[in-house]
Amino acid sequence: MDCSYFRARINHYVDGELGYLETAELQGHLSFCADCAEELAQMSEVRGAMATWGRTELAPPPGFAERVAAAAALEPKPGEATVGRVVGDALDALDDTLGRIPLPGGRTIPVKNVLGYGLAAAAVLIQVERYLRRARELKPL
Amino acid sequence: MTPSNLKWATLPDPTPAELARAADGEVEAFKTIVERYQGMVYSVAYNVLGNHTDAEDAAQEAFLRCYRKLPQYRSEATFSTWLFRLALNSSIDYKRRERRRPEPVEVPDVAAGEQAELGDGITAATLTSALHDLPNDYRVPTVLRDIYGLPYQEIADLTARPLGTVKVMVHRGRASLRLRLQAEREA
Repeated sequence: MDCSYFRARINHYVDGELGYLETAELQGHLSFCADCAEELAQMSEVRGAMATWGRTELAPPPGFAERVAAAAALEPKPGEATVGRVVGDALDALDDTLGRIPLPGGRTIPVKNVLGYGLAAAAVLIQVERYLRRARELKPL
Repeated sequence: MTPSNLKWATLPDPTPAELARAADGEVEAFKTIVERYQGMVYSVAYNVLGNHTDAEDAAQEAFLRCYRKLPQYRSEATFSTWLFRLALNSSIDYKRRERRRPEPVEVPDVAAGEQAELGDGITAATLTSALHDLPNDYRVPTVLRDIYGLPYQEIADLTARPLGTVKVMVHRGRASLRLRLQAEREA
C-alpha cells in the first residue's frame, strides 16, 4: 500500500491541524497500517521527550548572575533617557503601531526596516546626486 | 551544568516593590531577579543556540534588555512570561547576528540518573546531541515548536520566514530527530 498520502498528514495530525474528516480518514488508516502507526508513535515519543527537555532547567556557568549584575551596573539607570534608548523606544513603538508588511511568498518585514532601508537609499541617492553635480561643475569646457 | 526542575516556576513572580527597586537602578535587587530566573533564560538560549558559549552571551544580553525595559513591564503578563519572550527574542537576534559555526558536540552536563531519562528510552544526552546535529534552519523552528510550543505563525514572525517554509522545516526536523533517535536506540 502507498502510505505517502497518510505519512504527509501525520505531522499535521500531531499539530492538531487536520479537519474532522481528514482525522477520521487517518485514524482509519492507522488502525490497520502498522508502519504508519509506528511512525506516529515514534514521532509522539520524540515530541514528548522534547517537551520534557523543555521543562528541564540548565544551570548557567558559576558566577553568571554576578557578571550580569556587574554589566547592569555599567548601564544607565533603567528609566534614564539616553539617545540610544529614545531611538530604540521610538523604533519599538513604530513596530507596535505599524506592524509588518506582507511580502510575496508569505514573508513579512517590519515597517521600521522598510523605513530604515528607505532612509539609507535616500542618503545614497543624495550622495550620488552631489557627486554627479560636482562632476558636471568640474567638467572642462 | 546540572538541571533543576524549573526553579522559577515554583516561585512567585517578583513583588511590585522588588521590581520597582530594580527598575530604579538598584543592582542588588536586579541581581536577585537574575538569580531566580537565570536557569530559565539560560536554558532558552542554550536550546535555541545549541552551545554554551553563545548561550551565556545571549542570556546575559537578555537580562540586560530586561534591565533596560523594566520600567515598561506591565503586569498584564506574568513576569516570567515576559522574561521568557525577551530571552527568546534575544537568542534569535543573537543567532541572526552571530552566524558562527556551532562548537563541536557539547552535551549539557546532565547528572546521571532519572533526570537524564526523558522517556521512551530517550536520554537528555541523545536528544541534545541529535538536536545539535540538525541544520540550523531546521533546529530553531523545531525547538520553538516542539520544546516551547509556539504557534507556527509566531515562529514565522520571529524567524522572518514564510509560514509554509517554517512548517516544512519543523516537519523535516522532526523526521531527522525521529530517525536519529530510532537509530541510537537500535544501536
